Formats: sequence, C-alpha cells, structure tokens
Amino acid sequence: MNRVWALAVITYKEGIRNRSIFGILAFALFVLGLNVAVAGFFMREIGKVTVDMNLSALTFSGLLLVFFVALHLMAKDIDKKTIQLVFSKPLSRGEYIVGKYLGILCFVVVSLLVLAVFSSATVLLVRGLYPNYFAGFSWPVFFTAGFFILVQLAVLSAILILFSTVTTSSFASLIFTVCAYLVGVTIEDVVFYVKSGFRTEQISEAVKQTLDVVSHILPNFAMWDFKLEAAHGLVIAPERLGLALGYAAVYIVVVLALACLCFQRREFN
Amino acid sequence: MPRKVILLILIVLAGAWGHTRLSRQVWENRRETRSRIETGYVFPSQFNRVLALGHKGLYADYLFLNTITFFGERQMYRESLTREDWDYLVTGLNAVTDLDPYFLDPYVLAEGTLTWETRRFADANRLLEKGMKHRTWDWQMPYYLGFNHFYFLKDFNKGAEYLMEASRRPGSPNFLPHLAARLSYYGDQAKTGILFLTGIINSTTDERLRASLLLRKKALEGAALIEEGMERFKKDLGRAPQDIAELTAGGYIGTLPEEPYGGQWVILPSGRVFSTSKFVEARKK
Repeated sequence: MNRVWALAVITYKEGIRNRSIFGILAFALFVLGLNVAVAGFFMREIGKVTVDMNLSALTFSGLLLVFFVALHLMAKDIDKKTIQLVFSKPLSRGEYIVGKYLGILCFVVVSLLVLAVFSSATVLLVRGLYPNYFAGFSWPVFFTAGFFILVQLAVLSAILILFSTVTTSSFASLIFTVCAYLVGVTIEDVVFYVKSGFRTEQISEAVKQTLDVVSHILPNFAMWDFKLEAAHGLVIAPERLGLALGYAAVYIVVVLALACLCFQRREFN
Repeated sequence: MPRKVILLILIVLAGAWGHTRLSRQVWENRRETRSRIETGYVFPSQFNRVLALGHKGLYADYLFLNTITFFGERQMYRESLTREDWDYLVTGLNAVTDLDPYFLDPYVLAEGTLTWETRRFADANRLLEKGMKHRTWDWQMPYYLGFNHFYFLKDFNKGAEYLMEASRRPGSPNFLPHLAARLSYYGDQAKTGILFLTGIINSTTDERLRASLLLRKKALEGAALIEEGMERFKKDLGRAPQDIAELTAGGYIGTLPEEPYGGQWVILPSGRVFSTSKFVEARKK
C-alpha cells in the first residue's frame, strides 16, 4: 500500500507542477467573469443562470484537466520509457495502475477545490449585486452538484487510464476518452428518443440493438448530472444520490480492474 | 527619435483612426443585416437535448438569450414582427423550456408577448401548462393561465379553476380566492381585469414589462369608468347604449378617459368596452 501511495504522491506532485493548469485556471476565471457580465441580461432567473454558468465552468475546466494534464501524467512514463525504471522497483503492474489513478484523482480533487473556491466567490459576488434574484438558490444542492462533477471526472479518469493501457499512442487515448465522454453524456437522450417511437421508423433494428449494448457498456453521465437541480435549488432524493455513487464506484472498480488486466499483458520495448 | 519609430507611430495612429471609423460602420452594417434576417431556426428539442452535451441549463440560457435578443432588437426599433418571427419566438421558447422546464423567464416572456401582442393564446397557454406542471411551487403559472382564460378566452369557469389552483400554492396573494369567486360572477368586466393586472404588476420586476403593464392597467381603468356609465345608463333607460356618444350626450360620463394607446373608445356588440387600438401600441410597418 505504501508503494501505491508513494506513486500516487509523485503523480499528484507532477500534476500540480504542470504549467497547463495555469491556462485552465485562466479559462475558468474567464468563464466566471463572463458570468458576472452576462447575469444581468436575464429578466428574473439571475441565480439560475449564475449556477448554470458556474457548474458548467467547473465541468469544462475539469474536463480540460483530465484530457490534457491527466493524460500527460499517464502517457509520459510510457512515451519517455521511464516506465522501465519504475518497474525495476518492487512495484507490480496492478499497483502502478492504482497508484497512478489515485495520484490523478488527488490532482483533480485539489484542482477542482481551488476552482470551487473561485466559483463560490463568483456566486457570492453576483448574489451581492442582485440579491432579489436568488430566492431558489441553495448552497447544499450547489455543492452536491459540484461534488458529482468530481465523480464524473473520477469515472472519466478511470476510462482514460484504461485507454492508455490498451493504446500505444497518447493521442489515440485522448480521442477514445473524448469519444467515450461524448457518448456518455448524450446516450441517455438518444436511447430515450429511440424508445419514444416518435418518427423512429427509419432507424434500423441493428442500430437500436447497438445503442442498447453501448448504453450498458459506457457510463450514463446523466446519472451524475445535478446541475439543473442546483440551478433551481430543487431537493435531490437521497436514493438518487446513493444510486449515483454506487454506480460510479462499481464502474470505476471494473474499469480499473480491466486496465490492470490489459496492462499485465502489455509489452514495453 | 529615429525616423522609423516616428513612421511606425504614425502608421499605428492612422490605422487606429481608420479602424474606429470602420468599426462604427461595421456595427451599423451588422445591425441592418440582422434586422433584415427574417427569422432564425431552432433545432428540434430531441436534437437540442443531445447537442447540449450534458449542459442543458447553460444551453437553455444561451437559447433564451438568443430569443430575447431577437425579440428585443425588434422591440427597440419598434419594427413589426411577421408571422414567421412569432413562430420563431414560440419555437424558441418551447426549445428553452424543453431543455430546462423549471426556467421562469421564458414563461414570463410568453405571457407578456404571445397574448397581448399577437393573440396566440393556445401557444402561450401550452407553455404555461408546461410551467405549471414543473414549477409546482410557483403560483404565478396557474395565475397567468387564469388571466388568459378570463380576459382573452372568456372561459370564466376554467379561469376560476386556475385561480383556485394558484391560491393553493405557497406564497400566493390573499386576494386570489376572492378574485376566483368574483370571476365566476362578474367575469366579463374591466374591473376584474384591473384586479388581475395589479397582481401581475406587483410581482413584476422587469422595468420595461412593468411599464407596459401599467399602460394596460390605465387602459382598463378607462374602460371600467365607461362600464360604470353604461351600468347607470342601463338602470335608467332599461337598455344598453349603442355607442359612446350616446353615453356622453346623456351625461353618463363627464369627460371621456384618455385612451393610452391612442385609439378611440368603442362599445362592442357583446356590450364590452374596447378601443380601436385593441390596446396595442402602434408599430412601424
């Protein structure tokens, strides 16, 4: 366990030292600043618009962190062949995968916490400017939605690690992870649309079956999306939160186990 | 200072001057171009949900901003909206509320524009029904529906039903049950309309919408004054007056109230007081 933790700490430190995070921070600050400017354009629901923009800014920034910084952390060892050095130490391949994942997760958690501080400050600022338009706003629901952005990123990081273990190029891992994310966030609406039967006669049975299979292989990211609830301060049923957490935990375990399996069989020249 | 530097500064200054002039022209050109664009196109909701990539709230904000910019620009320059423009507005508001059915602003805009300005009551009511279904804590949705049924559709019983629903919701004003009862008895009267409008004005914070509602209230107050004269006329002579002139000639109205939209007061065959302006501001053709 100590070995895994040591690798996690090294990975985390490498992530924090990456200069790309300044660019991502600047992007997040730009979106949050934009929020202050745009909020006043709306008639009544300034609070809702503020929450929408803040949570979306957190998601976009989190995605950039995973797609670029986390990918770099994962691919660097393999691309630069330093992985040979790591494996000369008493560290199994499975431990390597888990250590890397924990390091990436710590990095994402800390980065997101910093962004959440800026985000909360923006909400406070806009609330100070338009105090009458935040009637439905609730901090607990806002932070719950923020926490589930983190859960989404945790799942995505696991998927990224899986693809890094099966592909030889980091660019291919990036493309596959982006595709998995895009499918994951859209699959629910596509599946329900097809099931609705409204003008779906043209869709072939094969496509419908493929969709069904994909919807069970890839995670349904909508399960971890509570942005709409946060925007209107709606109460989220505890069972829904429990199911969402359980779904994420099981998915991460399966994907990481699969990643370990693939990594065991991988050859490094 | 070397000549090269002076030359460069001169080029920068001349360029900046040229850019400022051009920039003004560019913005003016864009304004004209945008006003000439007939209508926009809104993707079907099934597609929008997928296109939102998990950011339905943000995408709804963006679409709504597009819709109000389109509508606001035409309002600002007092340009008349074509049937296609109104179709675009309805489709836009539908798309926004399909993405985020809890979003209040599109419902308020629908109530403020689709009914008074273009008399598309069915569209406005369909949107408000969606709002009533999702915003279960909000008394304003059934209140607006009640107003539309009372004032525009003359369905007083349905209007009273919506008002009773509004009165059962948290935070609703105390006068709602009274208004519902009054609606059942004296539906077709301007005074009932004034009561309704006062409720809407009190819950409206948007300055422009508020000003336009105040203007409508003033028009209804004028109509209510004439209705009072008509009542006295009926009591004395046992029949309804044929026109406004008959009322003024008989001394049932001292001076005719001002019609804030610039039209002439008329008595409709149904016996209701209305105006030639139809209570809508005159627009450029």
